[in-house]
Amino acid sequence: MGSRSRLAGFVGAAALALLAAAAHAQNAPPAGTVVDGSLKGKTLTFVSYGGIYQDGQVAALKEFVDKSGVKLLNDGPTEIAKLQAQVESGNVTWDVVDTDDFPPFVHCGKLFQKLDLTKLDISHIPAGQVGECSVPAMNYGMVLMYKNDKYKDNPPKDWKDFFDTAKFPGTRAIDGSGSPIGGLIEQAILADGGKVDAMTPADIDKGIAKIKAIGPDTIFWKTGAESQQLAESGEADMIIMWTGRAMTAVKNGAAYTPVWKDWLVVMDQLTIPVGAKDTDASYALINAYLGKKSQEILTEQTSYSPINSEAQPKVDASVGAFLTNTPDHAKLGYQQNIKFWVANFATASDKWTALMAGN
Amino acid sequence: MNQTSHTPTAGGDHPRPAGAVQGPQRRLRLAAYPSLLAMPALLLLIAAMGYPLLTVTLRSFSDPAWGLQNYVWFFSTPVNVTVLWRTFSIAAWVTIVCVIAAYPYAYLMTAVGPRLRLVLILCVLVPFWVSGVVRTLAWVILLQDSGIINSVIRLLGFDGVKLIRTQTGVVIGMAQVLLPFMILPLYSVMRGIDLRLVQAARSLGARPARAFLQIYLPLSLPGVFAGAIIVFILSLGFYITPALLGGPRSTMLSTLVQSQVLSLLNWGRGGAMGVVLLVATFVLLALAAPLMRQRHKQASRS
Repeated sequence: MGSRSRLAGFVGAAALALLAAAAHAQNAPPAGTVVDGSLKGKTLTFVSYGGIYQDGQVAALKEFVDKSGVKLLNDGPTEIAKLQAQVESGNVTWDVVDTDDFPPFVHCGKLFQKLDLTKLDISHIPAGQVGECSVPAMNYGMVLMYKNDKYKDNPPKDWKDFFDTAKFPGTRAIDGSGSPIGGLIEQAILADGGKVDAMTPADIDKGIAKIKAIGPDTIFWKTGAESQQLAESGEADMIIMWTGRAMTAVKNGAAYTPVWKDWLVVMDQLTIPVGAKDTDASYALINAYLGKKSQEILTEQTSYSPINSEAQPKVDASVGAFLTNTPDHAKLGYQQNIKFWVANFATASDKWTALMAGN
Repeated sequence: MNQTSHTPTAGGDHPRPAGAVQGPQRRLRLAAYPSLLAMPALLLLIAAMGYPLLTVTLRSFSDPAWGLQNYVWFFSTPVNVTVLWRTFSIAAWVTIVCVIAAYPYAYLMTAVGPRLRLVLILCVLVPFWVSGVVRTLAWVILLQDSGIINSVIRLLGFDGVKLIRTQTGVVIGMAQVLLPFMILPLYSVMRGIDLRLVQAARSLGARPARAFLQIYLPLSLPGVFAGAIIVFILSLGFYITPALLGGPRSTMLSTLVQSQVLSLLNWGRGGAMGVVLLVATFVLLALAAPLMRQRHKQASRS
């Protein structure tokens, strides 16, 4: 069931992307190309989430900056409320903004520009990942990590086991850092015996109820660092973690093992705000960012997966074990129904917030 | 108890040197326009507090349309009401813990010699200079199930206690962060209490406990109230500590405001939450005010 809707979603989006690509691809310069001195004297403000991730993005853009002559300013962390204030006041200082998965879809055309795909080479972006207002900024996943010495010979194998507290007792930790985790709610609905092909808002309640049924000891971690700390101190028996954090935790000695079956696909999105000062320069930055070499640098520095399918990053085994784009892992990913979650974003958020607040 | 530092009132009592003829006149001019003196602070308050507060309040009635819909939504959503109640109850607990912890400490500060007092003051101030986030993260390490407190408890042969992600954990963490706001006003009031009054009570036959309860405690109450109000009000708006030390059942209102504004862009609803919290705080303070005034009177009578 899950895979069918996933497939349908993929095919639909891929068809769209292909159509768009076929119509315009010939006009866009290949991803990664930078014209020498083309942006001399101009300034671009790039906004992302800071930390190792934004450092990696800046490193990936270094060639673009050096060659085009642009002055690159960094800001962050991304806050949609701040962006809204900029757009409403007509004084937009952000040129390219890295966001969560949902905002560019929820606010497409209002806060984020509809992208002109003649100006971007999207031919190497994994299928189905280009939105009307955004291209992916990276790929990563949410994986279920279980504690080795808790489950020994009988570890959890999938999300059903995650929700089965009778067969698999122990504390669970869930990503409570922000927006509702659509993929997890879908898995909860499936574990409850429901279907996700034709979800209705009533199904959200079922999914949330299933998550709540795990029990009062469930931990909702607020930051990636907190999830990593939970793993390194062995505080929780099953932890839903971002792959980058999972990799770092294991590297630091956390005795946890990932379950790759139906890992939840997550991307960040690159967007151009409505009212950005120099749209062409923004496009040039994104197109450079999408290039093979830039994406290799990004992955080597951050351990997040590249969004250029030709990229061949050189990483050591510990990082490679948590990359989501290796053939073994890629085929096991679970793509949430973005369309549904975008359409029901407010409802889902209210219910998710209530879950977080213990109601 | 050889406390002798009882400073007399301000320098206005001293006769001025004859040369300062202009003095009284200038003083008069300033005294005639006290509002002028308060101008810088007032302007800052209007720009940094008044205007944003006005915008937030307006938006709570006008976003997305004019009307009361945001307030209707607030009170008809069970989670909001639960969390509002919880916010006040956590703030009350934090205040109680702070009073209990700060009172003896502040007293000790007035009782010891100057060198030890400096050490005690530094013990209060140094954590105060460290960022709240850092202190909260330190509490995570102390309170967690495999943390130091639980290791010690287990070493002593008891079962571990759940501290992190509980309301208890949040109250402990918040009380530590807010303790300086309680200790400093208490200390400044206690420093001014003339300990000879207590000695007088003792010499008239009062037992130590009675001398404390009837003489010292009432005189120190203004400090308790000042500190309690600061701690209580600051607690109401806490965000980081409950987010990191608490679980779902210790979420406070600020977290809900954050999710309404930052992830849902519902400025109206977020504003309504803020206004409800503000009004509830005012009502509570108004209810507490007569009580405090009475205590003051009592204190001055004795």
